[in-house]
Amino acid sequence: MIGLIAKRFLQLLLLLVGISFLVFMSMHLAPGDPATIIGGPTATESDLSAIREELGLNKPVLIQYFEYVGGVLQGDLGYSFQNNQGVAEAIATRFPQTLNLAIGSMIVAVIIGVPAGIISAIKQNSWFDFSSTTIALAGISIPNFWLGAMLILVFSVQLQWLPVGGLSAPFWTIEGIKQLILPAITLGTASAAMIARMSRSAMLEVIRADYIRTARAKGVHNNTVIWIHALRNAMIPVITVIGLNFGFLLGGTIITEQVFAINGVGRLMIDAIAARDFPVVQGTVLLVATLFVVVNLVVDIVYAFVDPRISYE
Amino acid sequence: MKNISIKWGTLFLLIVIVLAGCSSSASNNEGAENGGDSEAAQELTYATTSDVVGLSPIDTNDSVSSAMIEQVYETLFIRDPETMEIKPHLAESYENPDDKTWVIKLKEDIKFHDGTPFNAEAVKYTFDQFKSEERAAPRASLLEPVDSIEVQDEYTVVIKTKEPYGPLLAALSHTNASIVSPEADESGDLNQNPVGTGPFVFEEWEQGDHVTLKKNEDYWKESPQLNTVTMKVVPEYSTAVSMLQTGEVQFVDAIPTEQLPRLESMENVDVEQREGTPVYYLGFNMNKEPFNNPEFRKAVSHAIDREAYVNQLNGLGVKNESIIGPKVFGYNEEAKDAGYSYDPEKAKQIIEENGFKGQELTLLAANRDSYMKMAEIVQAQLTNVGINAEIETMEWGTFLDTTTEGNFEMTFLGWSNSTADGSELLYPNLHSNNIGSSNRMGYNNSEFDKLVEASRTTVDQEERKQKLHEANMLAIKDGIWIPMHHGVVTAAYDQSVKGLQLDPTGQWSLYNVHRE
Repeated sequence: MIGLIAKRFLQLLLLLVGISFLVFMSMHLAPGDPATIIGGPTATESDLSAIREELGLNKPVLIQYFEYVGGVLQGDLGYSFQNNQGVAEAIATRFPQTLNLAIGSMIVAVIIGVPAGIISAIKQNSWFDFSSTTIALAGISIPNFWLGAMLILVFSVQLQWLPVGGLSAPFWTIEGIKQLILPAITLGTASAAMIARMSRSAMLEVIRADYIRTARAKGVHNNTVIWIHALRNAMIPVITVIGLNFGFLLGGTIITEQVFAINGVGRLMIDAIAARDFPVVQGTVLLVATLFVVVNLVVDIVYAFVDPRISYE
Repeated sequence: MKNISIKWGTLFLLIVIVLAGCSSSASNNEGAENGGDSEAAQELTYATTSDVVGLSPIDTNDSVSSAMIEQVYETLFIRDPETMEIKPHLAESYENPDDKTWVIKLKEDIKFHDGTPFNAEAVKYTFDQFKSEERAAPRASLLEPVDSIEVQDEYTVVIKTKEPYGPLLAALSHTNASIVSPEADESGDLNQNPVGTGPFVFEEWEQGDHVTLKKNEDYWKESPQLNTVTMKVVPEYSTAVSMLQTGEVQFVDAIPTEQLPRLESMENVDVEQREGTPVYYLGFNMNKEPFNNPEFRKAVSHAIDREAYVNQLNGLGVKNESIIGPKVFGYNEEAKDAGYSYDPEKAKQIIEENGFKGQELTLLAANRDSYMKMAEIVQAQLTNVGINAEIETMEWGTFLDTTTEGNFEMTFLGWSNSTADGSELLYPNLHSNNIGSSNRMGYNNSEFDKLVEASRTTVDQEERKQKLHEANMLAIKDGIWIPMHHGVVTAAYDQSVKGLQLDPTGQWSLYNVHRE
């Protein structure tokens, strides 16, 4: 196990070097000059070159990259071109909101997805099964921005049950939970649908296995068969899907953050891209990539614990 | 199986109960806020789609930052939103001993929020910083013609210009020329901790989320009525409208055309619209064939039905063929219909005579709804007269770069004109000095240049107006820009908000605002 973790961390480092290089180059080679955006439509050529000088953009790109990597290795992610705020600080103030949203969405996804999938499997081809698979398909297909806007119109504007915007209150307060409900449903729906489909097919496979038939033949109560014997084994592939989805949720909050005016990492990234704020784009992309890889590693480890048949030696 | 149904039923009930609990507590809160309302809470939340870039007037140049800077800082002069006349604000009076010298008397006994006295030294400090090359102020061009700023006595400052500079007062009334506390600027970062003399004092900026301001209890005039002003960043306009409907925010501005009907249908909301200073245009690249051919530009202009275009803006635009808009200094009624009006037959005739038939061209548009709409309508109308236009859209940052480099044929752009002075429109956009930067079309006409220069170097305002009118007429006849529409500035606010006044530049002051 320790060997596995060490190997994965080495892979992570290589991956981060690769990602940082790609992001750095694509930002610098893409059209759109940060100086023209900062200077605005009225800036003269001399204004622009003064701005470039100040940002260090007039050095060769490779030199800029090595300077950047040198900084990152010393824990310095650089400063925003736009407002001179430290990138690490900017990320640190926004990450809690993104994490809050991703965890909330994950809870929604699991609460809806797992039971729906299991019940569908147990009652295969029933009305419940048909409607839940149809809803699952819809859940995957509905775009976030539309779902979010509709939830706002129904639950905030019409019914006035929940507030429209922001995750400004801490998540452990009633206000915080109320603010989290709509964005979490918006972001969690697609994952719930995926988890439901995976739980359904895993469960179907398991309840047809020989040992389940044996258990039933021995007269074990139906509920015990399903919730004790079948569920444990059916959950193994589901855990993988949940884990992968969590990584996806952490990196996929952009649209939900836009619609619900949540001040998270996704919005920091998208605003930075529009403003060609290179250091912020690089910092946020590195963060998302790292999280994704770490989440995957954690899933692998959990997997080994849940399923004794799996070994990484 | 029954067990499971019961469990689901219970879960569903639980959810309903929790939600119902939420709703009753929500209405309770509202009751507390609005119920005992002999005294309405003097708080206002304004929603904007992007965050401020910074809060220093010297170091920023965007409209959202300006909106907040406007509440915290003040300028020496202001433009009266009704008469459009410029009058002293932090200044008491001024005189011109000669064309290049402005002696400005300042109001006395005014203090910055940090206690630093407002005086001639502060004015000199601000403008010296504004002009400093090291500081690289994005709007440094406003004071570019200024040669020196001298302190004559504690409350008198003397500004000398290199040449006579007519638009100086307009420049000094620009938000970016607000006076800053020298003490605060030297010891800290005004972008993060702004210190001015204005009616509101900076309290907090959580980047990406909100800016909070508090009432200035020691304001040099009567203190404002609002205790707290919050600017909340809401990137989706439709979300902001929902928040206005539920009372989470009380004020939005710059309403997009497609949101107007929804806002107008809302019972608790007032919508205000007034003719403003922005102009939106279709421009031609003067360095490319056939766009540099006046006959071609004439044909295009005759082909575009601007009346029909403006009609689909839901009232958020005014048709006027003048480049200098009706709310901008230098406008003359004569220019209103001076362009090449809609006449498709005439367009076809010019196209026939000059062999433009079947001309292929690309309309470049930034990927913002308003510009893409313009492009689609113009494309359809050009097709009607036998010109094949393709549309290319670009993300804003790429667009700015591409047009500055001159890699386009025809494109759409706007100019918000925050000084409301025609010189500040014609000089940056069309004077040959600015080719390669803000003169994106590459327009180069020495006669026009001379008239614009004269409008800048004349101090007599009537004469300036005449020069601007002549320059305007010349550019209209050259067909360098086809004005698509002149902007209408807008705001929508909760009915409890009273006293909000919208400036034709789209800016507003919250000084006189209160809630009922």
